[in-house]
Amino acid sequence: MTNRSYLGEFELMILLVVVHLGEEAYGVPISRELEGNRGRSVSIGSVYAALERLETKGLVISNLADPTPERGGKSKRYFQITKEGLRQVHETRQVLTRMWQALPELKLDLR
Amino acid sequence: MKRSEPPPIAAWMLEHCTAGDFDEALAGDLCESYSSGLSDGWYWRQVFAACAVSWSESLRARMPLFVFALIWSMMAPAWKVFTDGIESAPIFDRILPYFGPVWIFPAAAGWLLLNSIFLWTGICVFILFSSNFRETIRGKVLRRPFLLASLIFLPIYGATFLGVNLYWYSFFPNAGFATTPLGQIADLRMLADVIRMPYFIALLCALWGAIPRSIRRTQLRLVDSPPTESSTEFDVLKFVSTLDSYTVKRCFGLMVSAGLINAMIAGILLCRLVELHSPTFAPLFIRAILYVIIGLLAGVVGSWLYWKNPSSLFRKHLPIPFPLFALVCASGWIWVAPMTIFSEQLSPVSAFVAVIGAIFLAVGLRNATFSVLAPAAPEAPIYESEQAELFSQSLYRAPGESHGYVITFLLYAGFCALAIRLNLAAAALFALCAFLFVWRQTFLPTHSIDRNHEYRRAALRLAYVAIPAVLVTAWALLDGVAHRNRVAAMNAAASAGSRSSTSDGAHQKAKSDSSAYGLGGYESLILWPVPEKKQIVPPLPEISLLAPGTTQPLIIPFNGQYWYMQPPNKNPGPTAHLAHGTPLGAEIASINSMPLVMDAHQTLGAAIPIARCREIQIEIENRDNRKGAIALAALLTDTASHKGTSLYLGRQPIVSTEPEHFSFKSGSVFETLHFLVPASAKMRKFDEITVMMLPDVEHALVGPKIAIKQFQLFPR
Repeated sequence: MTNRSYLGEFELMILLVVVHLGEEAYGVPISRELEGNRGRSVSIGSVYAALERLETKGLVISNLADPTPERGGKSKRYFQITKEGLRQVHETRQVLTRMWQALPELKLDLR
Repeated sequence: MKRSEPPPIAAWMLEHCTAGDFDEALAGDLCESYSSGLSDGWYWRQVFAACAVSWSESLRARMPLFVFALIWSMMAPAWKVFTDGIESAPIFDRILPYFGPVWIFPAAAGWLLLNSIFLWTGICVFILFSSNFRETIRGKVLRRPFLLASLIFLPIYGATFLGVNLYWYSFFPNAGFATTPLGQIADLRMLADVIRMPYFIALLCALWGAIPRSIRRTQLRLVDSPPTESSTEFDVLKFVSTLDSYTVKRCFGLMVSAGLINAMIAGILLCRLVELHSPTFAPLFIRAILYVIIGLLAGVVGSWLYWKNPSSLFRKHLPIPFPLFALVCASGWIWVAPMTIFSEQLSPVSAFVAVIGAIFLAVGLRNATFSVLAPAAPEAPIYESEQAELFSQSLYRAPGESHGYVITFLLYAGFCALAIRLNLAAAALFALCAFLFVWRQTFLPTHSIDRNHEYRRAALRLAYVAIPAVLVTAWALLDGVAHRNRVAAMNAAASAGSRSSTSDGAHQKAKSDSSAYGLGGYESLILWPVPEKKQIVPPLPEISLLAPGTTQPLIIPFNGQYWYMQPPNKNPGPTAHLAHGTPLGAEIASINSMPLVMDAHQTLGAAIPIARCREIQIEIENRDNRKGAIALAALLTDTASHKGTSLYLGRQPIVSTEPEHFSFKSGSVFETLHFLVPASAKMRKFDEITVMMLPDVEHALVGPKIAIKQFQLFPR
């Protein structure tokens, strides 16, 4: 039995956004990207909380950059996905794809 | 207009109300988003969400600690019974008396040690069984919970039992523990739970800070990214160069203003005049030094507070070191104390002192911030006559000097304020004017100056300026005392003039020399009955009360003095103003915030034995139309005894002054108050009756219009 926890929905989204943003992945663009994709506002505090959980699990790493005046002299914290993070994203994707493919075609009434 | 910085209270909350360490990156992200045009409401929502998320994460991370503290504190009642057994051992009864009156200290130390052992054992167990915790804490971090647990246990224990005794006192007299240890651990009744509470809280508090929310904070490193450049030391000047000149100047201006405002508040609150009527120079000089230091320190603290506020742009990286900034500004702040003292005397010198302070501040600040702010030396017009035709360049456009108009306006406004005696406003306007002028005209160095040299210059400037500042402060204090004496003398003269018909001229000089003038220029006042109504009462026929079978009361019409004083005086003193009159007609009031004390004193012709007097009735005439209850207290004194023994007869309310009986009086209301005289063992006779007026707050500052008519002494 593997001692490994699965990614939650929000954590998976954040990992995907971090991969998508590449070297520009810090709090503000991550939140904006999430808001754009989810269609609803996201608290930056909750994004950081999730990122910290991911970092504790070793799925992302972070570094502080130089402070800038538009940030009130405070530093940016850039996030990067680790190899383990990338592996888990792929694995989750494969699991989800298999599960979706196993489902019968859904007829959604979107009216 | 939208602010460029986020709401300061929300920024403060983000820094101080989140669990764990302050997340600089989160604060920076919020600040960046806010400055891109989002609203204050958005910022507040984000702050609240960040606080809630951080606390929930923090609690989630400490859930094992909660469970452990709960389980461990379950054993507290059993431990309590065990330690009670140790504390009641006979050996302690033999040892503690050796410590004499300080036995409480070793007893408390022993009690604390016993309880600390329980807590320390709990901490050890938790560390052993918590693998994450064991991996992340080392050395000093490990010692902290042990120390903290012992330190906080006693106050938590005290607070718990204080609260419980206040609200559930009735429960405890009959409460007790189970007899077996297992029963004590499983006991869920109130007493056991109360015992557990301080242990539970102490364990939580001790281990709370030792558990990091996550390990990432210690692993963060500074990089120069996003484009992965090499990591460099943060360059303050580079950071400042990215800001516009206005922002930098405004930040400096606000820091200086915060220091000035703080220094002024301290000056107004703390810089008081000497109480002495004619002080010598030594205490005055010492006080002047103290006030200058107060101004300086208050200025430094004010600037520091602004510099450290969460929305401050320079909070992390001040373009010049704060000690240098404080040293430079100190040469201006030390003038605040004399300025406030002069302004309290309505002296125009306050404006002059403010100007001096502003000049020193501007010179120092201009030089110190030279490396940060762009030089603002007047630009000389460039003539190109050599290359151009004659007269072709003569009509050059002079550079705009808007500050010149501002300086002129400030000058005019300052003089206007001075003309209408708004000295403080005039001082502010002139100071600003001087500051602007000097700022523009200061010659700046042509090359950058060594930082050590800047420190030396600022310290030297402060040393040179401090001496005249102390002397000016001493002058301000001297002038203040003289001003106060003048005002007091004028008040005394005015009061004397208004009472010339009834005043005793022989005492005019004496009272004007007094240093405390609460009663319209007098330090105290004695009111005699008007001469024509004065009756000379022959010595009391003592025999009338002593004669066996006498039932008739002895009637003594009041012909004594009314004393008006202010605490802490208990008698009028040798400089009291004497006047003839009655409280019914005299308007006597305190002209300061000190309450007024009014007594009526009746000296008897001969001593009356206490044993022969059963009751004293005091008849009064009330013409007071001010609302508020007044009571009378009576005191019998034996002035012949060397100690001046007194017997207090208690207090009786004047019914006509009570709210339910109060009515506006067009004439006098007469009332009789009864005071029973106990047979006193400590006093055998009395020869003076004192009646004290005990007014409520409505009458605290005015003498009540109540006169004593007569005393009736009933034989026992």
